[in-house]
Formats: sequence, C-alpha cells, structure tokens
Amino acid sequence: MFQNRAEALALALPAAVFATVIFLVPVVIVLAEGFRSPAGWTFSAYTNFFSEPLNRLVLVRTFKLGIAVTVVSAIIGYAAAFAIVNLSASGKGRMIGLISLPLMISPVARTYAWIVILGRTGIVNQALQAVGLSDEPIRLLFTETAVFIGLLQLFLPLMILSLISALENMPKDAILAARVLGANWFQVFWKVILPLTREGLVVGGTLVFTGSLTAYITPAILGGSKVLMLETLLFQRVTVANDFVSASVIAFILIAMCFAANLLLKRLATARNKR
Amino acid sequence: MNRTLSFSILTALIVFLIGPFLIIVAASLSAGDTLAFPPQGLSLRWIVKVFTVESFRDSFIMSMILAVGGTFVALLLGVPAAYALSRYKLPFGEAVSTVVTLPIIVPGIIVGLALLRYLVVPFSFSIGVALFLAHTALVLPYTVRVVSSSFNNLRSDMEEAAVLLGATRLGAFFMVVLPNIRAGILAAFILGFVTSFNQVPVSLFLSGPGVRTLPIDMLSYMETTYDPSVAALSALLALMSIGIIFLAERFLGFSRYV
Repeated sequence: MFQNRAEALALALPAAVFATVIFLVPVVIVLAEGFRSPAGWTFSAYTNFFSEPLNRLVLVRTFKLGIAVTVVSAIIGYAAAFAIVNLSASGKGRMIGLISLPLMISPVARTYAWIVILGRTGIVNQALQAVGLSDEPIRLLFTETAVFIGLLQLFLPLMILSLISALENMPKDAILAARVLGANWFQVFWKVILPLTREGLVVGGTLVFTGSLTAYITPAILGGSKVLMLETLLFQRVTVANDFVSASVIAFILIAMCFAANLLLKRLATARNKR
Repeated sequence: MNRTLSFSILTALIVFLIGPFLIIVAASLSAGDTLAFPPQGLSLRWIVKVFTVESFRDSFIMSMILAVGGTFVALLLGVPAAYALSRYKLPFGEAVSTVVTLPIIVPGIIVGLALLRYLVVPFSFSIGVALFLAHTALVLPYTVRVVSSSFNNLRSDMEEAAVLLGATRLGAFFMVVLPNIRAGILAAFILGFVTSFNQVPVSLFLSGPGVRTLPIDMLSYMETTYDPSVAALSALLALMSIGIIFLAERFLGFSRYV
C-alpha cells in the first residue's frame, strides 16, 4: 500500500472521467428523458407505454423467454456439469475448451446457423417431410421457439462453466454421505447439491438471465418483427418512429432489470460469505 | 452417474453447441446459389466472394481499427486505474471502480443511443469518433478487471524493494511491475479485442455512410440476400477467433485469466 493520494488520483482519474463523460452522463440523460415533459417531471411516458398492448406483450415475452432460458439452461447445465466433473483431468480440460469455444465466436455467426437449420428448406423441415410427418414446410423461424433455441445455445456455456466450478468446490464425499444415510437421488440433489452449489447457480443464472433480457442479435435474426423483444422493440421505436420517449422507457426497464439481477447476485454472494 | 448416460449427455451437448457452426461451415462451401445444407456441390466460390465484397472489406477494416485501437486506449486508461485501485488507499475507490466497470452491466444499445443523441448530434462529433469512444468504454471494464487481478496476484514488496534501492516510482513500475503483468495485459487485450470485434448493440445506432462495423454489415446483408456469403464470412471469422484463442492458450495459458 502506498499512501500518496495525489498520485493515486492522478492514476485513476483519467479512466473515471472517461467513463463518466462518455458513458454515465449520456446514459443518465437518456433515462431522464422518459420522465420529462414540457410541463415538468412526469410519469406519463410510462403510463402511455404500458397502455399499449404491443409493449406489454413484448415486456412479458422478454421476461418469459429470460426465465425459460435460465431455467432450462440450469437443468441442462447441472446434468452437463455433473458429467464433466466426473471425467478424467484431460477429458475435463477438453470438454471445458469445447464449451468455451463458442463464446469467442461472433454471435452473428452463431445465430445465423439456425437459419440454415430452421428455415423453410432447412434441415428440420427436410427431415420432417422425408419422414412424412408433414407435407409442407412448417414455419419454425420467426417464432418464440426459434428465439428460445438461439438464446439457449448462446448462453448455455456460461451456465455450464459456472456450475462446473461450483461442483468442483463442493466436498466430494457430501453426496456419498447423503446416499449412505439413505437419501434418494432427488433428495441428494435438493438437500445437498443445490445448497452447496447455490452460488455458482446464481452467478450462472444472472449471466444467462441478463444476457437473454438484453439480447439483440438473436431476436433480430430469428424473431424478426414478428417476435420482438425489448431491445429489438427499442431499435424499432427509434428507427421507424423516431420515438425517443418510448426508447427511454425501455432503456430504464432494461437497466432496472439488469441492476436488480446484479444486486441479487451480490446479496446472495455476501450472505454466503457471512456464514 | 453412469457412463453411458454421461456420454450421451455430453455428446448431445456438443452437437447442440458446436453442430450448428459446423453446418455453417459446410453451407459456406456450397456451389449453389442459395444457403442450404447439405451443400449443393463443393466449391470455394463463396469464400472467394467474401473478399471481393467492398462493404465487407471496409467494415472489416473499421471493426479492426475499433477493436485494436479501442482496446489499446482502454488499456492506457485501465492499467493505471487498476494499479491505483490495487496499490493505493484511494479516496472514493469504491465509486471509481463502480464507474469504470458499469459499462459491463448497462446494455450496449442504450450506450449507443445515448452517444448518438447527446454527443454526435449536439456537439457534431463524427459517428466514427463516437463509435471509437463507445467501444473503448465498453472494453474498459474488462481491462480493469483482468489487469486488477494480475496486480493483486503480484506481491507489492517487490516494487517497494525497488524503490528502497533507489528506483523512482515510475522506474519501479516499468522495470519491476510491468514485466510481471505482461501476460495479464495480453490476456486483457485479447478479451477486449474479441468483445469489441463481436459487439453489435453498441454499434447499432452509431452507423452512418461509410461508418459501419462488420457484424452490423453482416446483419444488413443477410436481410436482403440469401446467398452463402454471410455463412462463408462467419466461418472465416470463427477461424480467426479460434486461431487467436489457440495461440493465446498455447503461449500464455490464456484460460487462467478469464
């Protein structure tokens, strides 16, 4: 530890000033715009926004998809993380590599692949028709299911990686002890594994949930204007209607949800440290 | 867990995570005119075409400038800040670290909109400059976090010893500290580069005539054209990412830092 305050400030100030001017202030002004009217401060932008059925639909859909992606990725994540921590050291390393790899690839490229798979002449439709389950192509693209699949593929690796590290930090004999004492597998998961890996689940869940809420690319490519989510709605409001007030309301909702998720994460993490 | 079950789970997982990407690679090698799998014949025509599309070339250069330049500036700002946060009792240290790491939490689309409305429009900043600033702000949290953990892992008595032996504080930093956190800085650079290069939401509103990042260009290209060139470009970009990660892992043990 060094004590010279002036030196410390001189080192930290450029970054802090930069982030404040380029990021914090403009964002705060955008948020304030939603509460302003010529007559003064008001909530009317918010009441107008929520009175529009499409906006409510999009908000509910975004929330619903966020929850669904988080829950399903947690279920798959536990199964996968379990299988992986039980592998040999080299097998584990290779699997972790394979799972992290997609994280480095452009999300546009990763999402684009689903067009080839789910499109009218895509693999799924070809297979359905070949087997005789359907006579004509089914519309799979531009549905909530397509967006769900895209988001799941995008964010699942984050959940698995968090759960792997949580499971590795768990005492290995806890499961064995519970089994010896007569717990069935369901009880083992619910009473032993879940509480002991809670922190990893919360970290993974926050990343997946906020990632899904604020996704732009996936709903833009796989949902189009039929399946709008909050970010695609924001983009559409601005580019199609020059409606900066609705944009500000959506921005506030998005930021509020991200902050709530992150606060929850911090709360749960510190609750654990205190024990 | 029994072996067959665990093997089938992992196989299904890898097929789901990596499979679509292999399909894209296969589709990009098609000789046909439309995007399809299985590909209609094999050819490199779409791979070659990617290099001839002018807008792809321009936006690739743009994205490269943003990713390399933005990350470089973010490091110039982030390394001293991380150093101050880990080595000094900084007044308002908590506030400083919150403000520089905030861009990670706030959705990028809002940052782009905010800069367009309150930097580009009122102060007649060029869109290119705003885009550069936005990408720098976006990468800053990553550089501060990764480099901070390097500083925290480096014992501070080494530099104290250097100072006691007569080095200036600055000299001690460049001769003792910097060589020891080289790997951390390189890791931060790679992470920042990949983040910036793949970033879409921040750049959505910050594009104009001649100023467009590669992912945005791909998005607008695929809206109008259904040929395999975006697939080919996606495959090439992924190979680039894999190459970078492979080299980083090989020479640095990159995964330790992320």
